[in-house]
Amino acid sequence: MDLLSIGRIAGTLTTWWWLLLSLAFFLYIATDGTDLGAGIFAVFSKDEEERGAIMASMAGMWDGNESWLVVAGGVLFGAFPLVYGSAFNYLMIPLMFALWGIIARAVAFEFHIHAKKSKRFWGWAFAVGSLFATFFAGVSLGATLQGFPMKSGLAMQPALAAHGVFAQNYTTPIMHFSGGILDFLTPFSIWTGVGAVIAASLAGGLYLCARFIPGDPIHERARKWTNVVSLLALAAIVITLVWSYALFPWAAAKWTGSDWWIWLIWFIIVLIFAFKSSTNHSVRKDFSAMMWGIGVVALLWAAMWATIFPYVVPNTWTIVQAANPADSIAVFTLFMTGFFPIMIMYNWYQIWVFRGRFSKKMAYGAH
Amino acid sequence: MIIENSLPILLSRLDFAWITSMHILWTPMTIGMSWLLFIMEVAWLRTGNERWYKLNRFVEKIFIINFGAGVATGVTMEMAFGILYGPFSQAVGPFFGNILGFETITAFMYEAGFIGLMVFGWGKISKGMHLFATFNVGLSSSLSAMWILVANSWMQTPDGIVLKDGLFQVTNWWNAILNDNFQWGFPHMWMATVELALFVLAGLSGFFILKNRNAELFTRLLKPVLLALIIVTPLQILIGDNIGRVVAQTQPTSLAAMEGHYHTYLPDGKVNTGWHLIAIPNAKNDGNVFAITIPHVLSLLETHTLNGKVTGMDSFPANDRPNVWVPFYSFRVMVAIGFFLFFVALWGNWLRLRGKLNATELRKHPWFLRAMVFSAFLPYLAIWCGWWTREVGRQPWVVNGLMRTYQGTSHMPVAMEIIWFVGYIIFELTVWAGSWYFFTRVIKKGVDDIPDSSTLFDHDHADGADVKAGGGHVTPTFASKPMLRSDR
Repeated sequence: MDLLSIGRIAGTLTTWWWLLLSLAFFLYIATDGTDLGAGIFAVFSKDEEERGAIMASMAGMWDGNESWLVVAGGVLFGAFPLVYGSAFNYLMIPLMFALWGIIARAVAFEFHIHAKKSKRFWGWAFAVGSLFATFFAGVSLGATLQGFPMKSGLAMQPALAAHGVFAQNYTTPIMHFSGGILDFLTPFSIWTGVGAVIAASLAGGLYLCARFIPGDPIHERARKWTNVVSLLALAAIVITLVWSYALFPWAAAKWTGSDWWIWLIWFIIVLIFAFKSSTNHSVRKDFSAMMWGIGVVALLWAAMWATIFPYVVPNTWTIVQAANPADSIAVFTLFMTGFFPIMIMYNWYQIWVFRGRFSKKMAYGAH
Repeated sequence: MIIENSLPILLSRLDFAWITSMHILWTPMTIGMSWLLFIMEVAWLRTGNERWYKLNRFVEKIFIINFGAGVATGVTMEMAFGILYGPFSQAVGPFFGNILGFETITAFMYEAGFIGLMVFGWGKISKGMHLFATFNVGLSSSLSAMWILVANSWMQTPDGIVLKDGLFQVTNWWNAILNDNFQWGFPHMWMATVELALFVLAGLSGFFILKNRNAELFTRLLKPVLLALIIVTPLQILIGDNIGRVVAQTQPTSLAAMEGHYHTYLPDGKVNTGWHLIAIPNAKNDGNVFAITIPHVLSLLETHTLNGKVTGMDSFPANDRPNVWVPFYSFRVMVAIGFFLFFVALWGNWLRLRGKLNATELRKHPWFLRAMVFSAFLPYLAIWCGWWTREVGRQPWVVNGLMRTYQGTSHMPVAMEIIWFVGYIIFELTVWAGSWYFFTRVIKKGVDDIPDSSTLFDHDHADGADVKAGGGHVTPTFASKPMLRSDR
């Protein structure tokens, strides 16, 4: 077997990018998940001062955190353009709503500080924007797991035909999305949306506990919130696993296949992490509790990607089918891989600079 | 009618045109102003003069509102290629996708990593570290502009690729990256961001001097700004002339549309050398209904000879001709603004030569001050017009000469395209109106309530009791200021 054949190397490199894609998405969920969750928490804030304090607590880093989503999108475009161009087409509606949520949230950060009469409005834009972004990101994930139909040829053919426009015969071997615009909407994808909201709420609660000084009203409310949401989250994990098992043969085949014991051990580790998070939380080791919680997310996320392998989109695009030609993947690897540790480093530094605890009374500093 | 102008495709073009047009309202200020903020910060650190610190902090407030709006609209852009132009994204993935990937990894994330430190890091990180953060914001945003211009220029002059298995596969990376259009297209865009930022500073100065608020301070700002403008404004015109000639050589249909140049030859068989000041193209897009024409000027402009041949629209099949209205008038507005801004820069420097550049003298020239305030808005319009010329001029191609726009459009019903359009009109206009409203609020507050730089590192003593656990006011171990145990 030729170890140095281009096909083999390209296959290995695309798998590498598949891993980096999962890493970028994970970093997004882990860092911005807490911010989004704190935003969902702010939906239930009784006064504007509290929303302002929550926003202030993440003012210096939300942008860096959110940019992991953009990085994930960039990796998808750079390494798997065939998925990028079809999955985003399929997810047009949920992504549109998620983006509107992100827009509302992003501008609210700045507008809220300067606003006087409209403070309430921008406080709500932040809170509701966070809720929307999380829910529709969850819907998108669930919808992606279900896969989507594809065809080759002219993508706009149906819409053009409906308007009586004759299009010349256009042939291309590339498969584009060919389903309906509402294909994404299923009970399962709605559930994953709800699940994402629950997961983010938990992350947000743990984050606020770690971010605000013990005894502060926000800290105390976040404690109660976390206690309740953590039970919901456990239930959500179990429901999602059972539902996925019933719905996806490719998942079921792996989980109860010959390697069932690995999945079982993995699940036990998840439970241990969740237990550690919970015990740390109850003895008020808030930072540790948050990190154990993020550990749970990391473990579940890794398990999900391992279940999907060798697909990028289950039953739709495999890693090899979806990847760029060998030459492009090689260039992308050569020039971009090294930036990952650098990005993680400065994102970490940024979070570290702003790590100190807050109180409700500390509004935005002068900037 | 060409297929790109049928409702389903036209709507997809409008969808994309709207979100890009609204996004380009924010990024030029970020790119250009970050360097000006860096220069002001250097000036403050080197001279120790408080006024540069105050001006920096004041402009930074506008900068960050602008930045927030840029991020808000930019995340959409990053996904919109896949959403609205899926088949295009798939086909150009091997090159264009890579470049967009480069942009997010080496620029977008890089910028996001330092912007928080720059804006919220005052007093939390050392002065040196802060300057480093500002520098990185400047570098990363310029890098971002470079990658985006690489990608877009390649759509104008695709090079270094071969179409194989439905994909534009790269055969030569250097040719693809340093394509003909990029070589002048990027300098033109980058210079535009600097020119815009300088005119925003000039406009702010004009406004404050006009209102006699901190007039001395803003006169001090105006001096270097005017000096920079007398270099930047004519340079931009020269660069613009070069990109114009690249378009003439590489995109003859685009040039013909920009000039409303329908006929290569006149009815009597002579070369058509006329340049139109104003033109009204006919509905069939094969001639002008009315035009004010100056002979020889077009040949002079494009070939530098009196009777040189310039290829007209009639040399191309009707199916391959772009719309004329948009490129023709956008181009003229952009050029007119370019010259007007040059004139304003001349005006200001003429006043300087006559020793009028102080607050009292300047207030005796209110029309100059008003012209500067007005000029702060013009670069926005010029940038819009430039991009409209560029993008509409390339039609009906999405990748010039290789892929038609309708072939790259995503599979979606017309109703969905309308929902997207209406939704984004609401959201983008809210962002725009909100940002401008808060700009005016920041300007109204002015510079007076910005605390002195000496208060920057006082937190630990001033409110130490409140922030025992750090309170966000900590100095990292590897910053130059030594970390005290009591700070922890």
